[in-house]
Amino acid sequence: MLKLDLSARSTRAGMVWFVVAAVASVAGSVLGRIAGPHMLDPTFPARLLMTCGLASLVVAGFSTWRMVRCRADAWLLPLAALNLALLEPGRAGDAATWRAEWAVGGVAATAAAVALFGRLLARTDELQRHIYIDGAALGLLMALPLAMAYALFESWLPALRAQWVTISLLLLWWAGWLITAFRYR
Amino acid sequence: MKNSLRVLRAERRWSQAGLAERLGVSRQTVNAIETGRYDPSLPLAFTISRLVGQPIERIFSPDGDLR
Repeated sequence: MLKLDLSARSTRAGMVWFVVAAVASVAGSVLGRIAGPHMLDPTFPARLLMTCGLASLVVAGFSTWRMVRCRADAWLLPLAALNLALLEPGRAGDAATWRAEWAVGGVAATAAAVALFGRLLARTDELQRHIYIDGAALGLLMALPLAMAYALFESWLPALRAQWVTISLLLLWWAGWLITAFRYR
Repeated sequence: MKNSLRVLRAERRWSQAGLAERLGVSRQTVNAIETGRYDPSLPLAFTISRLVGQPIERIFSPDGDLR
């Protein structure tokens, strides 16, 4: 059984682990993108970069686990948004033969993340759940003016992608959570 | 909704964190209930009632008349 620390110091530690997880996610993704296309080039240190990238992703995973242990569950929302932007699991690869694999992999990873977050929500106490639900409602309300603004300036803005909508909703939920949590501080 | 949780807790010399641990909730929840910013659910209200050994109506009141 997971033992949880509910102190304020632990929550601050959770935020520090969030920063570590975010930096390690970006580092892992960037190193992987640099090394990937050069894996067969003997003059380029691709293996070293790829190893560092994978190590960064392991650090990101460990930091995420520490965040959960420190009860900084809500910080999983911006971290999920960041990783969606970095890894784009919903985007098909350039090669048509890999599209199904990308799609299945993306959906599986997203479903696992949603299931894990659902379990965390079920384990929180009633006020925390109340804050999450109020935060989600507030986030959806904040999404309305953004959607209207996009509709007004659509011709000047880039085409909307499903990935961006998901990222925006996650960030708005987090913003709504921050505002609601501040009310009950 | 008004409540006398802070007084009842002080009488028992419990800290907010100690009460939160006994109730199985976060300290933030205890603080929000004590300051009247959050009304607990019925199951939590009954748990509080059992823990402090007082009937619910002596702890919580809609009009602040707690005796």
